Amino acid sequence: MKTPIRDIVNADATLISRKAWSDPGIYELEKKGIFGKSWLFLAHESQIKNPGDFVQAYMCETPIIVARGADHGVYANINSCVHRGLPVCRADHGNAKSFVCPYHSWNYSVEGKLQAIPQERYVEGKIDKAKLSLKAVPRVESWRGMIFGSFDAEIEPLEQYLGDQRWYLDAFFERFTEGVEFVGSPHRWVINANWKLPMENQLGDVNHGPFLHAAVIPPEANAEVFELGHSCVTEPGHGATFRLMPADSPLESVAWGFEGMASLLSPEVHEYLREIQMRAEERVGPIRSRMKGLTYGVYPNLSFLWSNTAFKVSHPRGPGKVEYWSWSVVPADAPEEFKRILRGNHTAFFGPGGILEQEDSEVWAQQFIGSNIDFADDRPYFYGLGLGEEKPHPDLPGLVSVTANEFYARNFYQRWRDALIAVEEA
Amino acid sequence: MSEAVLASPELQHEIEQWYYREARMLDGREYQKWLALCAPEIRFIIPSRTNPLVDNSLRGREEMISVERELEGRDSEGLPIRDETLPYLILRVDRAFKPNSWAENPPARTRRIIGNIEIVETESDQLSVVSAFHLHWARPGSASYLYAGQRRDMLVRAEGRASGDLRILRREVVLDMADIEYPSLGLFL
Repeated sequence: MKTPIRDIVNADATLISRKAWSDPGIYELEKKGIFGKSWLFLAHESQIKNPGDFVQAYMCETPIIVARGADHGVYANINSCVHRGLPVCRADHGNAKSFVCPYHSWNYSVEGKLQAIPQERYVEGKIDKAKLSLKAVPRVESWRGMIFGSFDAEIEPLEQYLGDQRWYLDAFFERFTEGVEFVGSPHRWVINANWKLPMENQLGDVNHGPFLHAAVIPPEANAEVFELGHSCVTEPGHGATFRLMPADSPLESVAWGFEGMASLLSPEVHEYLREIQMRAEERVGPIRSRMKGLTYGVYPNLSFLWSNTAFKVSHPRGPGKVEYWSWSVVPADAPEEFKRILRGNHTAFFGPGGILEQEDSEVWAQQFIGSNIDFADDRPYFYGLGLGEEKPHPDLPGLVSVTANEFYARNFYQRWRDALIAVEEA
Repeated sequence: MSEAVLASPELQHEIEQWYYREARMLDGREYQKWLALCAPEIRFIIPSRTNPLVDNSLRGREEMISVERELEGRDSEGLPIRDETLPYLILRVDRAFKPNSWAENPPARTRRIIGNIEIVETESDQLSVVSAFHLHWARPGSASYLYAGQRRDMLVRAEGRASGDLRILRREVVLDMADIEYPSLGLFL
């Protein structure tokens, strides 16, 4: 028996049915209403610098090749031959002159145009190859080197979609003179969880930190989150959390990069991070230079972990499985040795072997088990903490509150609900 | 990979026994004792295993499909799964003995078989040893998993130390995974 979406999330999104995470029918609606209608993160331009460079990506479960074309443009195509549907590229990344399907050697340019059908010369009829390109992602746009794609040809421009969330993202990106670089290939691993929980976790749920991660995160770091933490929502579905440090704070306690162990392991890296912070006010202004980020989310499934410097995407593989991708990010102009040390702030704590992330993966998988308990259907999950307590702020865009207020999640699930109702009733 | 040097039966025996004791320690969750086997300068690395594009110029040669081409982040290039020094390992060991390390409460039950132990190089006080492992992992409330891989170790024998008293100077763990479906790569491998 199907439950209408209106009964899954209540009006103010303080109560959400367990089925939101476990029902296969709802997942089918998500594919259309969320992943078919949003801007989805694909790759960073630093990964495909030269013509022919490509990386693999996903839009929900759809495999995508993101490539730099001969004209230096960015091309995103579905990795599936128009002849029999096989993937035309099997490598995770590389530099290619063309992509060739293994079955009958149909040959495509890196931009996705069909260039050759080897069997064509044995038949009389000529084939219009111009109509047989790889299926292109209809919209591809970049902002600050971040490449997004959308299956919705009519979607608003990317910058408009990101809106004021750009102000918060720029607090990070604009700190670095030459921008950022995504280091190598992403970590990608499978978690037996629903895709929304990793997303919600990074969107604003920093309040699990002092509890779930108490074995690793020291009490003084937790106190800082309680006392100085801000949670901001510029538009439902996006979110940004950070500590706004007092103006007279010691430089090391504000600067990016001091969380994790990189700064302790190298005096040179320590000094390098100090120098970035010393330029911060000039580059991002007096408020944002005092921001010490925690976690961000961009609707529907991109997140940014400022403290340990990773961008992550939660790719669904059905209601109960996620392929989680996590890219380590460093300043583009850092010396190579510093990049190696800085990436440790990410790999030691997050990713499939991360000291902190192993606790997260554990609870996300446990939440999915809980979401399948039929006899608790009359106990929807409670999302009501801090209801209505978010307010405008003189210096920060969006609505702002303490981090314990779950408004970031209520906003996300209201947008989610409305998007699903739109396809349910279409 | 270098050719194996002919280790004396005594040296081979000493090294094998050392690996068996280490395995028993790790499966017995005696991580504090295990930490004492790590040299202060230890590097513990799990490279990422990626699927690179086939290099046509290597066709017909073993390099075309070499394992090394799939490893990322061993030294400075790219992103490894883990690349840790002693302070990171101390942090992991500390965590293991706290009741709120929830991913290991209850802890996983592991059993590892270390085999194919080859001493590939000996130079003054250092021994380069490769070995293979199968590790069975099971935890209440979870499925059980088989981890398989290769260790590439550099062991060091400090001057004046007795036979069997070796430290790990470098350990590189090459995991034979396609997609990472393991619940954690945070364990001591």
